[in-house]
Amino acid sequence: MNLERLPNEEKLGLCRKYYLCGFACLPFLWLVNVVWFFREAFRKPAYTEQTQMKTYVKRSALGLLFWFTVLTTWITIFQHFRAQWGAVGDYLSFTIPLGTP
Amino acid sequence: MYGMPMTIFLFVCLFVTGVSCNSVGDKIYVDFKDNIPCVRLLNATHQIGCQSSLSGDVGVLHLLESEENLDWVLSSGPDPPYMVMLESTLFTRSVMMKLKSSSNRVAGVVVVAPNTNPSAGFSPHASCPNENSGVYTEKYSPSLAHCNATVWNPLGNNLSYEEFDFPIFSLKDDNDTQAMRQCYMDHNRPVNGSKPRYPLCAMQLFSHMSAVTDTATCMRRNSIAMSLNPEFVCDPLGDVNIWALSKPLNVTEKGHKPGESVIIAAARLDSRSFFFDIAPGAESTASGLVTLLAVAHALRNATQEAQLNTTIMYTFFHGETFDYIGSSRMVFDMERNQSIIDLDNVHSVLEVGQVGLHGDTKLWLHSDPVSRRNSSIDEEVCGKTHQKLELICQNQALPPSSFQRFLRARPIPGVVIENHQSTFTNRYYQSMYDNSDYLNVSYPPGLTPEEQLDFVTDAAKVLFDTRFTFHFITVMLCRGFVEQTDEVSLNLSVFFSPGNTTTNFYIGVNQQMSEPTILVQFMLANLTGSVVNTTQENCNNQKENEDDKETKHVRPTDRLMCFCVRSTCRTTKAVSPAFELEEYTSSNYSTWTESRWKSIKGRIFLVASHDLEMLTLGVGVGVLLTSLLLTFFISSKADILFNSGREPTNATY
Repeated sequence: MNLERLPNEEKLGLCRKYYLCGFACLPFLWLVNVVWFFREAFRKPAYTEQTQMKTYVKRSALGLLFWFTVLTTWITIFQHFRAQWGAVGDYLSFTIPLGTP
Repeated sequence: MYGMPMTIFLFVCLFVTGVSCNSVGDKIYVDFKDNIPCVRLLNATHQIGCQSSLSGDVGVLHLLESEENLDWVLSSGPDPPYMVMLESTLFTRSVMMKLKSSSNRVAGVVVVAPNTNPSAGFSPHASCPNENSGVYTEKYSPSLAHCNATVWNPLGNNLSYEEFDFPIFSLKDDNDTQAMRQCYMDHNRPVNGSKPRYPLCAMQLFSHMSAVTDTATCMRRNSIAMSLNPEFVCDPLGDVNIWALSKPLNVTEKGHKPGESVIIAAARLDSRSFFFDIAPGAESTASGLVTLLAVAHALRNATQEAQLNTTIMYTFFHGETFDYIGSSRMVFDMERNQSIIDLDNVHSVLEVGQVGLHGDTKLWLHSDPVSRRNSSIDEEVCGKTHQKLELICQNQALPPSSFQRFLRARPIPGVVIENHQSTFTNRYYQSMYDNSDYLNVSYPPGLTPEEQLDFVTDAAKVLFDTRFTFHFITVMLCRGFVEQTDEVSLNLSVFFSPGNTTTNFYIGVNQQMSEPTILVQFMLANLTGSVVNTTQENCNNQKENEDDKETKHVRPTDRLMCFCVRSTCRTTKAVSPAFELEEYTSSNYSTWTESRWKSIKGRIFLVASHDLEMLTLGVGVGVLLTSLLLTFFISSKADILFNSGREPTNATY
């Protein structure tokens, strides 16, 4: 979708939709929001809807950072300690590698 | 215009190449013809055996010439990891432990199995077999526990119970193995201490085992139903116990049979070795089991005529090598009233252990000193004398035997017949060398299979003195009721078969019966039952009609006639009670399982140096980048390059 051809209200509406839907445990929507609307919100000359757009993009970036740290921490811990957790590790796993603890 | 010759040319090319098809893979790799790996087994606490990586382990082949030559593999060789090829004389505990300790330089081991047995003896089993699953615990008798008084298998080096993280295969000593030695001599041998030059002869072994850690883990992973296709990683070891009664008893009523007194005549049905599916078990297993079959046959008529008030139950237990799987299951069933008789019905136990006789060795009757503290049991066991069998009534423990599991339940009088007085005389206990050569079963040249059968029968009587053995077993079983045994034709050849195939006594996993089980079942039915004259369909259908006897369609292996036999021979499941109760960390019962695997194979090939591989990769990447640059350059200057050539050609048309 080419943002150039949309009127500003629709751009704001799109940004808001992505921001709100990201709260349903969908951090990837926030990532898209940040990447797609960054130039619109911060690099274009000012227009009325831009301030609201800036808040949405900033908050999406914050949420994204939060999810990124949480997921990275959990994945590191799980990959490192799964073998030592025994039964708990097996019940948490979807695929268990063969032949290695 | 150009189309026609081109198509003819292409057609000719395809025809030529299509007819003689070449496989690049066949030109590089030489696959092993038969694969004899060592596999992983797990129990409640440990994993034993060997493991390779998922995509096979590759190593430069090295033929070990002596134990000092190990230094090349472990430290000084320039091209690790190495695939060590051992002659059987070097397959010892010290060499294997050194290889195990530096397993980053060892990719795998191949052992060449010799055609003759090593004279010094070799036993990869434990020196105290079934140490923790017998009756001798700290509580029962601290002085006899853990083989404190008698080490039964002094030659045992415990290799079968070690864990290796590289694959170990066994090779027969034939032309292919000689070709491998030649490959080593041509390419890999260091000359005057100099580094051998590439290309080198290398070997790759695949034996990736799926199960890991211990039985509880692998049984848990079997049953996790989370993923889309749950994958089984291990299976419990198990098979069937075979038993036959001298007098029929009602099978549908389980539990205690009032008034019945049963003597259990037991033998074991299984063996093992370091490698998978190789278990010749001639002296450790086959000698005892053939003897008991002969006794069952010899006493068939005698017990029917004599109207004895004790019944004899000829039982063959499977899985005794792995912590008494079969006998522990039978005792467990008897305790739960799931078996045909109860432990109260058991009068005594007579077990036939290793009874292969070499030359003029004698037979001994072993007994349990702790249960004999009870005077009635002592009277029963040691109060009698036997003419040619020696009783051991001192403070010596029972050898590893199924009778120990009965004693764990309650004190019962019983003896175990063995050919050794204290330690084993079997120098190849539970190894791949315990074969017919060891028992001196050899055929004179030029016999047909029929003649070979008769020869073995005669040889058996002389060399094994089996008739001698079972004459006195019949004396004991009938308590003085002596029978002159007729000439019994013993079908021993199925267990000591000449030629290429040896019987495999390994218990295997629960899903299928092993070959000796089927053989013994039919032989026992034939030897203790009577022939019934019906067709095959009627024979199989009559199974459900009789409560006490079962009809089986018996097919002797050496003759083509089949016939129907009615006998008291039956089978019961021999899977450890730990799997019935789902106590996978149990220390009371056997918890042995065998891992599953995807593919087991091996191959040898010539391998190039690492530098050459990197050079090839570098050249390839260079060509890629060059072509990308060239394409980019041409496409950016396309208008200059192509327009200048176009104008003159327009004019020709």
